[in-house]
Amino acid sequence: MQYVIIGSSAAGINAVEAIRTKDKDSKITVITDEKNPLYSRCLISYLLAGTIDEKKIWYRKDSFFKTNKANAILGVKAREIDIKKKEILLDNKEKVKFDRLLIATGASPKLENIPGIDKKGVFPLRTIKHTIEIQAMLDKVKNVAVLGGGLIGLRAAYALKNRGKDVSVFVKSGSILSQIVDKDAAGLMQKRIEEKGIKVFTGVAAKEIQGDKSANRIIFDNGSEITGDSRDRPLLVIIGKGVSPNIEIAKDTGIKTNWGILANEHLRTSVEDIFTAGDVAETNDIVLEESSINAIWPAACEQGRIAGLNMAGESETYKGSLAMNSIEFFGLPVISVGITRPKSDKYKEVVKKDAGKNIYKKIVLKDDIIVGVIFVNSIENIGVIGALIKNKADITSIKDIILEDYFDYGKIAALVKKSKEGFREQEFKETIMTLR
Amino acid sequence: MMAKKIYCNIKKCLGCGSCEIACAVEHSKAKELNNAISESPLPIKRRKAEFIEEGVSISAGCQHCDNAACVTACMSGAMYKEAKTGLTQHDRDKCVGCWMCIMSCAFGAITREKQEKQVVKCDLCPDRDKPACVEACPTRALSLGTFKEFKKLCNM
Repeated sequence: MQYVIIGSSAAGINAVEAIRTKDKDSKITVITDEKNPLYSRCLISYLLAGTIDEKKIWYRKDSFFKTNKANAILGVKAREIDIKKKEILLDNKEKVKFDRLLIATGASPKLENIPGIDKKGVFPLRTIKHTIEIQAMLDKVKNVAVLGGGLIGLRAAYALKNRGKDVSVFVKSGSILSQIVDKDAAGLMQKRIEEKGIKVFTGVAAKEIQGDKSANRIIFDNGSEITGDSRDRPLLVIIGKGVSPNIEIAKDTGIKTNWGILANEHLRTSVEDIFTAGDVAETNDIVLEESSINAIWPAACEQGRIAGLNMAGESETYKGSLAMNSIEFFGLPVISVGITRPKSDKYKEVVKKDAGKNIYKKIVLKDDIIVGVIFVNSIENIGVIGALIKNKADITSIKDIILEDYFDYGKIAALVKKSKEGFREQEFKETIMTLR
Repeated sequence: MMAKKIYCNIKKCLGCGSCEIACAVEHSKAKELNNAISESPLPIKRRKAEFIEEGVSISAGCQHCDNAACVTACMSGAMYKEAKTGLTQHDRDKCVGCWMCIMSCAFGAITREKQEKQVVKCDLCPDRDKPACVEACPTRALSLGTFKEFKKLCNM
């Protein structure tokens, strides 16, 4: 057996480890276009902020490939898959044979078609290389423009504010974090980051990035502009417009793609012996009940693990992915899971606020099943609600207490006991075995 | 892996909170109640006596899950499964305080240490033979062992 894995971030690493729990000896080859792939992508903004040092960024030790007896082809891009010959063509013209293949190529930052986006000093924030390049020009920079108010845009903004820069965030939509939280929660977060000196402009889109070679000025659609402060000072521009899945390698191969590469409940693609996991994989979303990509670290790790097990001959089922994000800015944390901005009236919302404490809690219900939750500044026990979401528990009996401070696992123990379909994991059974 | 961990017999649990206090004291600097309560920040408990319904409670904490969601979610590699024991362990040197584990824990068993930007959870009291909560439980509702041993103990 010859396993090949394209990609060596969350999904790829977890797949290697999963395969090795079942198959100690077969050959595993990992191909990635990154030279130092074992870092945690989520931590690069922490590194940029200077809140962690370089040592903390490594998700696995550099002995990882050796320990797992995996052959690593680093810094080389996988170019094509020949599904008939079961062969990968690499950028360096070499070929790698496989019996079972995992496509975990991840996603790339969306770079909008703004004139001037190719100028020096314009960066996405996706790889450790971006962080190093941004750091290299920080001494020369005073002003930073972040285009995009999503997770990455704001993490970059926070990081660069932390490095003493004058940071402005420009958001096309009406509020920050619009993919993750609702307007109320976004309002609390925006207030906090503005208090700490990050400027936020909503409802504006960049029209053009100007400058000789380096970016020095951005003109916006409402006529406003931001500059690098003086003529010869560069303007650091961070693009945080989300990511799109790297599906190119699957195109025209017979592997079915949509937005991402389509995966079934075993993380298999439409082609025999080819699996997919991580930010490139399109799977069933548990609450949307439709095919979707949740490009988040926990989903990539779980998918990588399950794909790895199935590549090694197991028959593990992936229950589907669920949007979930955790962010904290200047001591104000927010966590959201599932649907947070319901778009139809079949959903109901229950909200609890404590403005004095900056606490905001909301659950989104479809009938009596929770499909989404947001907690701001009081985040303990949100995982208990996550369990209710994942297991589609009918919460009629506990509806009134879910957002109370005293809500905890004990309050769902009776539901866990009663449930026939959900809460299958052994640990649930162990906790309620002695409950009458 | 049948990990040795802490189980609560709900039939015996009074919800008295002795486990909470013993846990917090064990994880204090002083390791002794009178001085622990004046520490700043206050020591954090890793178990909670949770009310289920009238007269029914559970002392809940980390279940050291086989497929631990906190380990899967941890983006820094701080939360990990210890191969030898099957326990879910937390490496403070790697933790960055992203709260992804809190987001993922179905049992609400992970707590923030806000100032330190760290999390804490049940570590089964590495400095003791028997975890402090198990020793402090006045009704012997709490026990340390495998699930098999727990079942036997409960005559189930």
